[in-house]
Amino acid sequence: MRGRGGGLRFIGALALLVVFLFPLFWILTVAFKNPEDIFVTPPVWLPSTLNFQDFALIFSEGYYRAILNSLIVATGATIIAMVFGTTAAYSIARHRTGGETLANWILSWRMLPPIAVVFPIFLVFSVVELRDSYFGLILLNGAFNIPYVVWMMRGYIEDVPIELEESALVDGCSRWQTLYRVVLPMARTGLFATAVFTFIFAWNEYAFALVLTETEVITVPVQIAKFMGREATYFSRIAALSLLALIPVFLAVVTMQRYLVRGISLGAIKG
Amino acid sequence: MTPRAERSTAAAGSSGWLDRHFKYLLLYPAIVLLLLIGLFPVLYSLMVSFQNLTMLKQDYGFQGLLNYERLINTDRFWWAILHTGVLTAIALPLELVFGLAMARLFVKDIRGKRLFLALLVLPAVLPPIVAGGIWRMLLDVSFGPINQIIGWLSGGVPASINWLIDPFYVYPTILLTEVWEWTPFMFLILLAALSNVDPSQEEAAEIDGAGPWTIFVRITLPAIWPVMIVALLIRGLDLVRTFDIVWALTKGGPGTLTETISVYMYTMGFQRFATSYTGAMAFVIIIVLSLAVMVLLRRVEIAR
Amino acid sequence: MLSRLVTGFLAGAALMVGVSQAALAEDAAAIAENAAKQFAGKTVTIVKIPGPMAMEVTQFSGPEFEKRTGVKVALVEVPLAELFSKIMLEFRAGNTTYDVLDVQASKIPDLARSGAIVPLDDWMTKYAYWDDYKDVGAAWRDAWGRYGGKQYGFVDDGDVFLLFYRTDLFGDAANQAAFKEKHGYDLAPPKTYKQFEEVTQFFTDKYKPSIYGAGNPRQRGTMFYWFEEEFRMKGGKWFDAETMKATVNSDIGVAVLSRMIAENKNMPPGIETWGVIESMNAWLAGQLAMITWWPGLGRWSEGYGTDVEAMSWVPKSQIIGKVGYAVVPGGHPQLAAGNLLTVSGNSQQQELAYLYAQWLNSATISAERVKLPFSFRDPFRVSQFKSESFRALWPAAGAYLDAMENSSKTGLIDLTIVQVDTYNSLLDQGLEKAFSGASDAQSALDEVAANWDALTEEIGADEQREAYQSWLAAPNAYPAQPSE
Repeated sequence: MRGRGGGLRFIGALALLVVFLFPLFWILTVAFKNPEDIFVTPPVWLPSTLNFQDFALIFSEGYYRAILNSLIVATGATIIAMVFGTTAAYSIARHRTGGETLANWILSWRMLPPIAVVFPIFLVFSVVELRDSYFGLILLNGAFNIPYVVWMMRGYIEDVPIELEESALVDGCSRWQTLYRVVLPMARTGLFATAVFTFIFAWNEYAFALVLTETEVITVPVQIAKFMGREATYFSRIAALSLLALIPVFLAVVTMQRYLVRGISLGAIKG
Repeated sequence: MTPRAERSTAAAGSSGWLDRHFKYLLLYPAIVLLLLIGLFPVLYSLMVSFQNLTMLKQDYGFQGLLNYERLINTDRFWWAILHTGVLTAIALPLELVFGLAMARLFVKDIRGKRLFLALLVLPAVLPPIVAGGIWRMLLDVSFGPINQIIGWLSGGVPASINWLIDPFYVYPTILLTEVWEWTPFMFLILLAALSNVDPSQEEAAEIDGAGPWTIFVRITLPAIWPVMIVALLIRGLDLVRTFDIVWALTKGGPGTLTETISVYMYTMGFQRFATSYTGAMAFVIIIVLSLAVMVLLRRVEIAR
Repeated sequence: MLSRLVTGFLAGAALMVGVSQAALAEDAAAIAENAAKQFAGKTVTIVKIPGPMAMEVTQFSGPEFEKRTGVKVALVEVPLAELFSKIMLEFRAGNTTYDVLDVQASKIPDLARSGAIVPLDDWMTKYAYWDDYKDVGAAWRDAWGRYGGKQYGFVDDGDVFLLFYRTDLFGDAANQAAFKEKHGYDLAPPKTYKQFEEVTQFFTDKYKPSIYGAGNPRQRGTMFYWFEEEFRMKGGKWFDAETMKATVNSDIGVAVLSRMIAENKNMPPGIETWGVIESMNAWLAGQLAMITWWPGLGRWSEGYGTDVEAMSWVPKSQIIGKVGYAVVPGGHPQLAAGNLLTVSGNSQQQELAYLYAQWLNSATISAERVKLPFSFRDPFRVSQFKSESFRALWPAAGAYLDAMENSSKTGLIDLTIVQVDTYNSLLDQGLEKAFSGASDAQSALDEVAANWDALTEEIGADEQREAYQSWLAAPNAYPAQPSE
């Protein structure tokens, strides 16, 4: 298969990249633009002089902490949602625990608009003193992403041939070992794809983070909202922080792709 | 009893208990966490929806269906549902088609694949408020490059399309941003699903002389169907809750022309503090959505 | 990096504070300072909108207050759009985190009514602040911060719209002659809206697309101020004071909105989506002949304070030395927004919170705060308008202060009724709809009126009538005479 139409596909991929990355290119230029270059008619594509001030300010004023906070919250939430969600998905997929009713019940949590429940959650978190804490945000984001993980992983687990599990059990593996040694490695591709977006959902979450944080656990979206004021919108600073925040996620996706690639070869072996 | 035998029975005993409760032990943590975080807020919203809490009045008396009546008689609520429906109905198929096409493109080996994938996921990593903000800049009448590019393509006359407020263009603007930001989601999920499709079946069909379309419909699509349905479901539910992008782009305007359910809810609950009214709205939405999803899933189940 | 840059400036400011303090041994700042010393070791938390105003706390008043009293100052920043909601959430949840709240004038009734802020009168007497507070410009002092006969907040920012105009364009001989020939009167900052239209049209016709006649913000969240200003100057009434039926869709309302829509043609393309930031950028870049804006723009136009790193987001002014200040057309500018220092009803250390507020607001300390280049404080005290050191900040600073003081004297306060935010955002919605062309002025305003009526009914017409009538009774709710 390789080779035939490969060049064409590569060009297609490049074209896609240009379309999808154009807005990011614009963010990049804004980050380095002086304010005089941002609102100009006709628009200027490249900065007339490079402005590094906003990057400098992000470090000198400690705004970079928002990225660390977001990383901690999103990573924690991903771990919680993936562990709890995947095990629950396995139970539902293989043992039909609770049947479709339970699965639907879990999904219905995804219908809840965060804005509708933000006030009561704020009340609870005030009482148990989880406002402005990593743990609070991690729990929230973890819990509200469980429905997504359960539903995604259920499909991927169902894809794993049940014969493999049966033979593992026959070979003397416990159920736990079967899950850990057979099912999860087989569903690796799905785990990766699911985890990436669980992370992204938690990374982008705004409503809860806005209401529940004060000074300590300010996440990237909240910090950016603070750069947009009535009298002052720091466009370059917004752009600079957004770009810096993309870097860790980008690197994580690049490195984690091993699993995606391996998943593909695994599929080949399976056949 | 030899020590060795003792150990093995002990192990068998404990694993026996663990094994017996295996499926529940796997399931309960998720349920408990969901209830722990979600139960109170939901009960609270349900409770206040029968009271009359506003910004200034804390009336805890039972008001019956007052808020539900008020809600059903408010045109703005129905319009918000319609706007949300339109956005979802257009954005979801677009994201699916683009996502699938991209996944098909990248499922085969391609030079620099890893880098491509990591770069193409980036739009989704941008917080939606920034995504909305950047498209607002790109689409600005005179400061944005989009009108400039359109101008170049149409022969040097600068275009003056007011993407952000012109009633004719606001929906395309929101759809563009929404599709740009979330197609990567469909793309990556479907890529993972496609990667797991057994290539030997496709090859066999090809040898039998089936065309690419037939192979796709007969072999590939059924194989990715379960994952695709779930991805559509999740994305669909998220689209129905869409807030940040619309808020950043139009704040629901001009007027209330692009106001979605979540934007309306934010205005009523968070700015106006109509706590009870918003509680009622949340419940109506959840009930309507649950019914819709149940019907849909049943259809899909049959089709499968 | 930033702190290093401003340290020099601050050292100077602190020195000046020290000197003036010695002169007035027992001024309001010193009283508050001495009383606050008993709370040394505690932390007082102030809530502000993010941006330049908040920086003043971290860079100036926070460290300074700690140095003098031993009380630490913590800052919580909440974006303006969520400020009121966040305060109410914290209040309803019974959280005691916040002590001092920096809020907009029009929010005072809602906050006071719900108990989220407390009256300050007793402390003002105890700590002898009444006299010092009399120095605050009368227009703001008498209208803002008071509710039910009590003082709930200290006016801490002199917000008023000014008409900024380009002296080079207005003074150009060719322009003068051409304008006079066309319209029969001298080209000058417009006194009426009719003149404003003619002047705007004149410049737009001549200089488009490099310069447009004017460019006032037209974005939700702020544009209602411009409508409010003109609507009231022309005698428009918001409600029937008896039935509380909305009358925003009266002939006057429709005429004002229609005029604003027509005016958009003489403003830069895309003006319908411009917020305060876009208009500020265009003005500083020299693309507008006139603009109605908050006073802060005057400093930046002259490049004052924008050379510190914290202000690097402000575009370099291309119009230094070319800016004139005038009273807005119609002569009664909106005292738009305004910031007040209030004390949270949930605070566990209200007295300390009060003392910090008094210290910040006192003549001595606020005189320094309004001069900080990165703060967004506009002068708000008579002593500040007269201040020689302020007048020396840039060549036209004196004219600027005079224009501010004069404008404030004839200024009109924002509509202040129960849940005014909601009324404003409904109005904004209607204005936006009309600007977008989705409906005409009449039907857009009819819709606003219908929405307002529904809201009034929800709140209770009697309650709202009381609030509206007490607002109407304020000396600067309406001009004595409607103008054109």
